Order: sequence, then structure tokens, then C-alpha cells
Amino acid sequence: MKKEQLTSLQGTLVITIEGQVLEAFIQACVKKGCTFSEITYLNDRKVQTTIFLKDWKKIRELRKAYHCKINIVSKKGVPFFLQRLKNRKSLLAALLIGFMAAFLLANTLWSIKITGLDPELEAEVESKLKTYGIKPGSTTFSMKQPREVQRLLLEDIPDLLWVGVKKQGTSYHLYGVKQTTFDEEEEPRPSNIVAAKKGLVTRMFISKGRPMVEVNNVVKKGELLATGELKEDSEEFIEAEGEVYAETWYRVEVEGTRERQQNVTDGESDHSYSFVVNNFSIPVWGFWRKYEDQVRKESYDHSLELFGWKFPILLRETTTYKNEEQFQSLTDEQTTKESVDTARQSLLLQLEEDAEITEEKILHESEDHGKVKLILLVKVEENIAETKYVSQGD
Amino acid sequence: MSKWQNQLRNWVSQYFDLPADVMLDLPRVTTIGSLHAYIENCTGLLHFSDKEVRIQHRRGELLIKGKDLRIKMMLKEELLLEGELKSIDFKEVREGGV
Repeated sequence: MKKEQLTSLQGTLVITIEGQVLEAFIQACVKKGCTFSEITYLNDRKVQTTIFLKDWKKIRELRKAYHCKINIVSKKGVPFFLQRLKNRKSLLAALLIGFMAAFLLANTLWSIKITGLDPELEAEVESKLKTYGIKPGSTTFSMKQPREVQRLLLEDIPDLLWVGVKKQGTSYHLYGVKQTTFDEEEEPRPSNIVAAKKGLVTRMFISKGRPMVEVNNVVKKGELLATGELKEDSEEFIEAEGEVYAETWYRVEVEGTRERQQNVTDGESDHSYSFVVNNFSIPVWGFWRKYEDQVRKESYDHSLELFGWKFPILLRETTTYKNEEQFQSLTDEQTTKESVDTARQSLLLQLEEDAEITEEKILHESEDHGKVKLILLVKVEENIAETKYVSQGD
Repeated sequence: MSKWQNQLRNWVSQYFDLPADVMLDLPRVTTIGSLHAYIENCTGLLHFSDKEVRIQHRRGELLIKGKDLRIKMMLKEELLLEGELKSIDFKEVREGGV
């Protein structure tokens, strides 16, 4: 018995045959090589049967000779399914596009994570990766293998001791170790410590060398504070190291105004939107509002990015705040206090980090056309140690 | 078929111990209880209803009676009948049959 395999692939038809000479018709079809299955009796002149699609043509040819009526009840199998799909091209297209989109998205790099590096090096690694074509939004088809990327990174960035590159799905994970460069120990150079500024020594710690001054000594600029010559007159110097904190004095002149103008926003704001193409802006929303003079505007540009490609059109959001100008008149005390604060700040900016203001004193105060002029004396405690190398004249 | 040809065939099949259905153009009917009837060597379907099926073979006809009969599969010389079989009658048509 010949069994037809994979009937669903061939396509089957369920038909009813109606006619006076049914048996003869079926016999004739079978002789031509058709296969009938599931022939069931409906009434004396009508049967239902299942046939293969490939036999359909033969059956139809014979139908006329035997005067039979054939009705198709149902169609099953792959060929009919494909036929139906062909009739629904949009569905097919959507399916295809969907698959492609999923494929594309799955093969797009979405994030790069770098750990273990300081921000500077991280930025460098990122920019290098960009030159290799690895950045969020690019597809992974043309990307180099992680191993290759690792090699290139190590070659191109000498500060990297080691970097681990791992591609995990749609993201890149990098773990870097920075090369710590040890400066070669320099030959100890004979040196002394001298004062960088005039001052009153408050505290000192000489880790190497022989101190020459004591706390509460007043030193002039360039005065020797500690020497590298451990034994007196031995002519054998070492490199002197240490910190000498001293009280130093500064004269500061500041000017302050008694009256000031302040812009105050009352919190009311309006948004307006516009598209910007090449510095040319097209208002979209909220452009009809008119403002009186006192306003402050802030703009923020939203740019659209798709797969690393920047949209040429920007969306500019402009927020307009209502402004109010306020004039403020300060009292004498307030003016003086603010001026002194300004003086302190600007002085500290000029000094070393470890400098500390201990006291300030107003020497002179004068007023001229609403401006207050102050002359201050400021006491600062700071490190005045300065290394001075000694030429031994070998 | 002439009579002496028939006798010769009969003799050959018996002498060489060959299956009779091959030699004598007879139908081979295999039934599984009363559920299936598998008929080989048939040449045509003469009548089909759910109570009676007549099948032609080279040397006569087969009459199968039953209930809810249906043809599970039909090929050139094979036929698989399903249903509740009641009887199988053989009708030999002598000379001048087919």
C-alpha cells in the first residue's frame, strides 16, 4: 500500500461529487492515476471525498465526460496557504519588515560601558572606539572582533595597562586598568629650603634637612629656612624637604556699590516651540504670545538622533520667564561686609590651596559717588617653603 | 480466458507453490475483524453506498455488505474499506464477463 507522505505539503481538497455515473467516474479517475481518500456516502448520487491538488486537473478534465458536478468544500495545505499569502501582500511586507527591524535592532550596538578608568581615560577610550566605528547606534556587522578591539586599544592608548573587551548582546563592556607610571627616583639633588614670602613662622615640619629658623621668627623673602647640609661646613648636601607655615600679610583694595540691581523671576513661564533648520527657525507653537519688555528667555534644543545619524531639524523649546527688576539699597554695614567677602574670595583664588585666612582688618574706607572703596589688611597662614637647589660646583 | 489456460495456471501455481492471487488474477481480501477490508487486485468500483459496495475484479465481482461503509483510500488496484462489515460475497463471472 502506497502511503502518501506529507499530505499537508501537497495540498488537499475536500470535494463533493454529484452525478448519475459516480462509480464509473471515480473508476476512470483512478485509472488515470488519481488517489481518492475518505470517500463517504452522502446519498445515492452524491459522495464526499478528499483528493490531492495535483490530481485536480485530471479530475476536472474527466468531469465533463461523465456529467458530474463537483463542489469544493475546503482547501488545505501549504500551496493554498501560500496562495492566500500572495493575496495579502501588505501582511507579507509587514512580516518581512518586522523581521528585518528586529534583526537590525538586535544587531545594533546600544551602549558602551567602561568601568575601572578615570573620566579622562574613559573619554579617550570612547573617542578611540569611535574611530574604530564602535559607538552606540552603529550596527555590529562590520565591527571588529572584541579581541581585535582590545589589541588596538592597547596599542593606541599607552596609558592603558590592560583592557577587557566583552560584547554582550547589544552592549559593549570594557574594563580597563590604568598604567601607573612610577617616576624614576631622581638622584637626590642638594637643596635648601628658602622662604617664598615675607612672614612670621607659625609652625614648621622639616622632614629632611636641618631647620635654620624657629617658630615665631620673622623671615624675609629668600631667607634660608632649612638647609640640606646636615653637618655644618661639611659641604655635603642632601635634598631638603619640609613644610614651613607662616603668617603673611596682604593689602587688598576693593570697591563695592551701595546700590544694586536684581532681576527677579516671579515663576511664571511660557513655553514656545519652533523647528530650526540651518539657523532658520520656524515657529510651531506658542509664538502668538506677546510680551512686555521685562522678560528672560531660555532656549533648549532637542535634537533627534537615529542610528547615530543626526536629524537636520532641531526642535527648539523656548521658555520665557517674566522678569522684574528690583533695585536694592544696601546699608553701610552690608556694603562693607560684602566687599570684605569679595576681597577674601579673590585673594584665596590667587593663593595656594592650603592657604587660610586668619584675620582681616579694614585700614581705610572711603565713599565716592555711591561706590565704597576699602583697603584691607589680610592675615593669611600659608606654606612659604620653596626648594632652592644648591650648585656644589663640582 | 480459455479453460485450458486457466487449468495451466492453476497447475503452475500449485506446482511451483506460487501465491494464487498473483498467478490467477484473483482479488486478495484482507480483513481486520469487521473493521477494515483491504482489497487488492481489483479493477473497478461498480457500486458504492454506505450499506453495499460492489467491486469488480478480473474474474468476477465482490459484494461487500455492511453499515456506515466508506472508502478510506482508493488507488489503481487497491481499495481500503472501513466501516462495520457484515458479509463478503463472491460472484464468479464465467466466460464473457470482462
